[in-house]
Amino acid sequence: MTVQPTEPAVRVGGLVRTFDGRRAVDGLSFEVAAGETFGLLGHNGAGKTTTIRLLNGVLARHGGDVSVLGLDPGAEGERVRARTGVLTETPSLDERLSATENLEFYGRLYGVVGSRLRERVATVLAAFGLADRAGERVARYSRGMKQRLALARTLVHDPDILFLDEPTAALDPVAAREVHELVEGFHRDRRRTVVLCTHNLVEAERLCDRVAIMRDGRAIAIGGPAELARSIGVPLTVEVEVDEQDRERALAALRDVGVSELGPTRAGITFHVARRDAIPQTVAALVRAGVPVFRVANAEPDLETVYFALYGRTDEGAEPSP
Amino acid sequence: MNRTAIVTLVRRDLTVVVRSRAVSLPILILPVIFFVLMPAGLILLSRAISEDLGEFRELIALMPELLRRELAGLSPSATVAVWGLEYVFATFFLIVPLMTSAVIAADSFAGEKERRTLEALVHTPASDRDLFLGKLLAPWLAAMAVAVGGYAVFVVIVNVLGAGLVDRPIAITVRWALVIAWLTPAVATLAVGALVLVSARVRGFQEAYQVGALVVLPLVLLLVGQITGVLYLDIPFIVALGAVLWAIALATVRLGYRSFRRESLLVNL
Repeated sequence: MTVQPTEPAVRVGGLVRTFDGRRAVDGLSFEVAAGETFGLLGHNGAGKTTTIRLLNGVLARHGGDVSVLGLDPGAEGERVRARTGVLTETPSLDERLSATENLEFYGRLYGVVGSRLRERVATVLAAFGLADRAGERVARYSRGMKQRLALARTLVHDPDILFLDEPTAALDPVAAREVHELVEGFHRDRRRTVVLCTHNLVEAERLCDRVAIMRDGRAIAIGGPAELARSIGVPLTVEVEVDEQDRERALAALRDVGVSELGPTRAGITFHVARRDAIPQTVAALVRAGVPVFRVANAEPDLETVYFALYGRTDEGAEPSP
Repeated sequence: MNRTAIVTLVRRDLTVVVRSRAVSLPILILPVIFFVLMPAGLILLSRAISEDLGEFRELIALMPELLRRELAGLSPSATVAVWGLEYVFATFFLIVPLMTSAVIAADSFAGEKERRTLEALVHTPASDRDLFLGKLLAPWLAAMAVAVGGYAVFVVIVNVLGAGLVDRPIAITVRWALVIAWLTPAVATLAVGALVLVSARVRGFQEAYQVGALVVLPLVLLLVGQITGVLYLDIPFIVALGAVLWAIALATVRLGYRSFRRESLLVNL
């Protein structure tokens, strides 16, 4: 079955899961479009891994609705799992087997057999740069190679959705970059929907179209970094390049139109505005003051700024946005 | 039932056992001791007995009347050989499939948890039942293969080394047939079931194996009862013993299956 482009690949509404009375997932709601890379971002214990397990039908939900590729994971877990690939937090590979044997084992469990299995195994081994050492026992692999093999395993049955749980946790920067490049490949080809759990803000910003920032089993915000920044009022930083002799005049002109947090930089001045549509007014004020403007650049707030702004708000007891 | 998934799991579990010395060594050593060295030693001991049973006389005197009748008319050498190889050894023999299935089941269930390979497995589309059956069958089939193969080796050894001791083939009896076909599969099933239960409560292979090896104790008691003459393993006793073992084994497996659910496996990781 192919998901229609308009139908979300994943739809979650009011999802609840408790462990010994504690709510690990507490009324979580979000949607992921087909072909989108969606991040579940949060501290350890925020409920990200439990959410993946609920989406893949390996844990039963205690409330709410879930649909994955139009199927209910609670009632049709086996059918859901046949169309998803999961990268668990640890590579979960059998180190006494070779890479080929690991992939063949999982391929068969996913119902891929015969020449199709051999073809898929050869394809993913080549795609992940493991073909040369495919016959070697995994125990001899580096951590980065194991993670690449674990990623290859998620693709051996050519799934529609990938659930990636902390794909670069415990990897060194070089191995993490390799994994990022592989996940970016999924993002580029748009053939698969990716749900990525991470507590790594840089990773989320680099790989995800949108993120749900999770806290205590709930999404305290959902959207892209810029969208989130706008929704919570994180100011935009604007940098204007002006000649050094014009700098004081420029600062005065900007003060006159109510711009705050002004500061000189090597190439000109920097300041904050609350909204994107305030930028033309500030540039007009500079032009009116006779300041030649050579370049205007606005830096969207990064995910880190948004994340800590949101966490700060909920720490202060503000009502979380849905 | 997904046969491909079950066969795949059995093959994988047996492959990883063969590649682990900690697991495969006990499986290789035990049959050599029980099926080769001990029967060969007993045959040599039997041949060393000439006219008089010596210390064996008191031991044989302790045996139940029915067994003494079985042994009546045999030469002293043949008496010791038949008593040892056809009667006592039948119980010794069961230790091998029991320990084989226990050690492989410990690796398959607790070992999988220890190696942290369980989570990827539960995310596959294989059903709980297929996963359980695959993991159950691997140690069970290995135990049966070792038992049947070991029995064949045992029969060849005792009949070659014991040629001329008894005027019929040694250890090819109804008692042995029942041990192989009725008691051995029950004992192997019981060991796997016990190890599934133990594995759900421990962290790794060694712990599971140590605790699970306690299932050998009832066999030791049976052996003591047999050697001291308290128990007599005639055909009705073996049939009844097998029925009891099967009942316990199936109950244990049923309980084990209850603990082998994705949900509880993940929560206990």
